[in-house]
Amino acid sequence: MLESAIEILLKTIVILALPLGALPLIIHVERRGAAFMQKRLGPNRVGPFGLLQPLADVAKFMFKEEVHPTHVKPFFYVAAPLVALVVAILPLACIPIAAPFELFGRTIFPEVFRTDMGIFYAFAVSALGSYGILLAGWASNNKYSMLGALRACAQMVSYELSLSTSVVAMIFLYGTNDIHQMIGAQTGYWFGFLPKWGVFIQPVAAMLFLVGIFAESNRLPFDLAEGESEIVAGYHLEYSSMKFALFFMAEYIHMIALSALFIILFFGGYALLPGMSFLAEKSPILLVALQALSLITKIALMIWFFVWVRWTLPRFRYDQLMTLGWERLLPLGIANLIITVLFVYYRN
Amino acid sequence: MGVDILLTILTVVFALMVVFSKKTVVSAFALLMTLLCLAMIYFQLGTVFLSAVQVLVNAGAIAILFVFVMMLIDLEQFPNNRERNKIKLVISIFTILIIMGVLALIINNNIDTLTVINLSDNSMKALFEKLYNTYYLPFEMATVLLLAAIVACVVITNHRKDDDSDNEGADKGVHP
Repeated sequence: MLESAIEILLKTIVILALPLGALPLIIHVERRGAAFMQKRLGPNRVGPFGLLQPLADVAKFMFKEEVHPTHVKPFFYVAAPLVALVVAILPLACIPIAAPFELFGRTIFPEVFRTDMGIFYAFAVSALGSYGILLAGWASNNKYSMLGALRACAQMVSYELSLSTSVVAMIFLYGTNDIHQMIGAQTGYWFGFLPKWGVFIQPVAAMLFLVGIFAESNRLPFDLAEGESEIVAGYHLEYSSMKFALFFMAEYIHMIALSALFIILFFGGYALLPGMSFLAEKSPILLVALQALSLITKIALMIWFFVWVRWTLPRFRYDQLMTLGWERLLPLGIANLIITVLFVYYRN
Repeated sequence: MGVDILLTILTVVFALMVVFSKKTVVSAFALLMTLLCLAMIYFQLGTVFLSAVQVLVNAGAIAILFVFVMMLIDLEQFPNNRERNKIKLVISIFTILIIMGVLALIINNNIDTLTVINLSDNSMKALFEKLYNTYYLPFEMATVLLLAAIVACVVITNHRKDDDSDNEGADKGVHP
């Protein structure tokens, strides 16, 4: 009893510390990446290569004066950033960073919440993501915030549909809800060199999911939630200092969690990167370390992809966004789902 | 056991807030909390699938539409919506009688018979085997009820469109 409590505590600390510790680094990469693409230098004054800039930003957020507007609804105004952050962290609980391994005679599952419904759980809790934004917009008692929140919420609900169709197609294809079994189905190679990743079986579902995660995490080209040019800053207009930073953290953690799910479904999760397998045969502990390294590398590449797209594509207009979501992606997703189901039915 | 009791109390408190809260948006959020507490009760009973579906469908999709609509419409224009009248009184009395009847049934019968189907490892398969074999008829009846609700929605909105004379000018290209 005590042992398992300690195990869960340790796993929770690791799962929380990894993304939260990576946050400053991601923000730095984002700013330097932006500068790189715009032929600027970016933040490079604080510390070597400007690496200490995020720490300076954190200090700034901490010591900034907290403005508490008088026209807001007090309880919901304070609750909204916390709701946003907690809901963003929840899906991380079921993401395994390595295959189950033996340590001190115990089988350890390297995820906080072990269930055979991992994918289901992750999407269920990330469906709650829009409540933090909606609460913030409503509690701010400000027309710009309200408009931003409603826009963001409509966008997230719309794109969740096409995202779900692609997830359901993958669940049918793998025939399981268990994340470990899904990744197990993706280990190995075709013809000796092509990894058995889901993206090669279902490129359409992968594309739908990719567009879906950009819309879900409110990143460019889908950052209508913020809409700087028309509705100043959208739902977090009335928030300053640490409360704003919580929204910021929630957005990035949501991005990490959705990237991790994307990698689990389409890029083999913690399955070893090509070329690593000869190293992994040496010892089981090395295998676990390499699996964690593979997952983290894949997520890092995904994050770089987010930055890349952000500074490449302009923002959609709202009607274009809705047309794309409801008239293009949703029918495509449903057609893909039907074809997949027929394929799986006749294969068995 | 303590967690069970806490969850039950929370569910009932939030459910009461849905009905008695003065602000509509607050009661919408209380409804969301009720649904989430129900999901936690399902989880406590060991059905991860059912609780995930509860969160995904009821809390994630349906409650958000409630909140959405309540934020969009101006509820100040319906001043009587919280007033007491005779019909409401009759409905309340009926509801209380029905609840008491259900409670009496629960107390008279053995409570153990009410425990859910034992769903352990492959909970999804077990659940759907029960749903499509033993409880097929109630399941289909629920879907028919939902269909009736959809048809009702379509009828109501269509009716409103016929009465709407504001757009007549716009159709002809004339200012009304």
